[in-house]
Amino acid sequence: MLGLEYPPIENLVEWPNYFGDGQIWALNKIGIISLLALIIPTVMFLVSKKELVPGGLQNIVEGVVEFIEDQVIMPAMGAQGLKYLPLLLTMFLFIFFGNLFEVIPTFQMPANARMANPLFLAVLSLVVYVSIGFKAHGFAFLKDTAWPGFVPVGLRPLVGLIELLTVFILRPFALAVRLFANMLAGHILLVTFGVLCISVFTAGIIVILLPLTFGMLVLLTAFEIFVSFLQAFVFALLTAVFIDSSLNPAH
Amino acid sequence: MLNPVVTQISVKAATFLLAAEEAPGAEEGGGGITSSPIWPSSSEMFWGILSFTALYLLVRFVLLPPVQRIRNDRAATIQADKDAASLARSKVASASAEVEDQLAGVRGEAQVVIDEARAEAEAERQRLVGRAEREVNAMRELAATEVSTERAEALASLRPQVADLAVGAASRVTGRSMQSSSVRSKVDEYLANPSNSN
Amino acid sequence: MSVLTSIAYQVAEVAQESFTADEAKQVSGAAGAGMAYGLAAIGPGIGIGYLVGQAVQAMARQPESAGTVRTNMFLGIAFTEALALIGFVVFILLKFA
Repeated sequence: MLGLEYPPIENLVEWPNYFGDGQIWALNKIGIISLLALIIPTVMFLVSKKELVPGGLQNIVEGVVEFIEDQVIMPAMGAQGLKYLPLLLTMFLFIFFGNLFEVIPTFQMPANARMANPLFLAVLSLVVYVSIGFKAHGFAFLKDTAWPGFVPVGLRPLVGLIELLTVFILRPFALAVRLFANMLAGHILLVTFGVLCISVFTAGIIVILLPLTFGMLVLLTAFEIFVSFLQAFVFALLTAVFIDSSLNPAH
Repeated sequence: MLNPVVTQISVKAATFLLAAEEAPGAEEGGGGITSSPIWPSSSEMFWGILSFTALYLLVRFVLLPPVQRIRNDRAATIQADKDAASLARSKVASASAEVEDQLAGVRGEAQVVIDEARAEAEAERQRLVGRAEREVNAMRELAATEVSTERAEALASLRPQVADLAVGAASRVTGRSMQSSSVRSKVDEYLANPSNSN
Repeated sequence: MSVLTSIAYQVAEVAQESFTADEAKQVSGAAGAGMAYGLAAIGPGIGIGYLVGQAVQAMARQPESAGTVRTNMFLGIAFTEALALIGFVVFILLKFA
């Protein structure tokens, strides 16, 4: 109706390389964001003072650590999970800062809207919780998963098959797809409203609709910040829950 | 409906602001399968793995330990302060109980002193009142005797004159002189007996 | 996927028969993608609504266990939402791949 010309999706999510075309170390915007998601938390942790009475940046840093302990580890695993704090904290920080670049000007792209990082993180989560299960229960972990003792004998093959599928395929798949699709959907939403704003702006009298579309864009930006946080939280929480179910398989 | 040139420009602008200028489907690094928005690009994954691993090692060995140390220190300090506070609170409780005891003793002593003082004051008052009453009575008696003395004196001083008057009056009435001492003594006798007069 | 695509293809044929094959494929792909995402959003929409409603009820009845309920609510939302997101991925695949 407005003659809206939507850019092709490749233009929204695929970025030209800065160098190293065709090589594995080819660096594009996603790689830059990954590196920034490494650098920003490092700098935050290093710059923050270490004092008994915290203030400023130290509050934020300790707040993040405390958040992972109190809201992720304690509800999912209890005190026995405190030794997985570094892993879960790293996952949270990496995902959160990767997501946050969705709303940071000049980047405007969440690193996790590309499948690479979510896939890697989901596979890492799979490796971590399976290896923790093997370490805690030995081969019985696999046996308990494939031949669950808590159901009647007749149902065991079926439930065991479902459990195997769940543990080894569905969980990492759902982890990766959840993060990826949430961030991609948010990015497409923001781009759609951005394009809509520009089209309305150049469409003569229809410009009176601009406050509506622009207000919606602002609201969605705030919402996407919330989603960035929520997805990082959910990813860390689900990893914690999966680790707990490996430690205590009979549920 | 919309000027196509303007549309072109606006979409160009949107594309420039929000997306890459060209679709780099052919230039994805490393990966053989391309041009799907879902398929992961291997170069992006390379940088992601590199960054994540570095961040994990940093968090594990460099970044997190100081934060945890200071949090433990703070927890220990807070615990110590809490213990000290509860110790001080119990001290305060015992001290205040002591003070309460002393206060009770002092209050009892004060009561005794007050009672004594009150009794003394009462005795003093009784004494003073008694003395005052006695004085008043004495004064009243003194006044009464004075009054009666005066009256007797007045009567005594009046008596000869009254006798003279009575003798004179009787002389006029009888028409003869009654200057005898017998008459006079009789008059005196009469006057001296007040029951005869009013 | 193919059923949806064929339905959408028929819709496109009925709507205008002078499409070229390429345009028809694009239109049917877009229509199928829209249908795929729309259908995939129904179930999770109901599910998340029910889930959050029950969680809020639980928090109102027992405010002292609100933390646990909230954590479990987010877990449930994450699991339920995954279905809708798979629908979204199918949408992307149909529309662009």
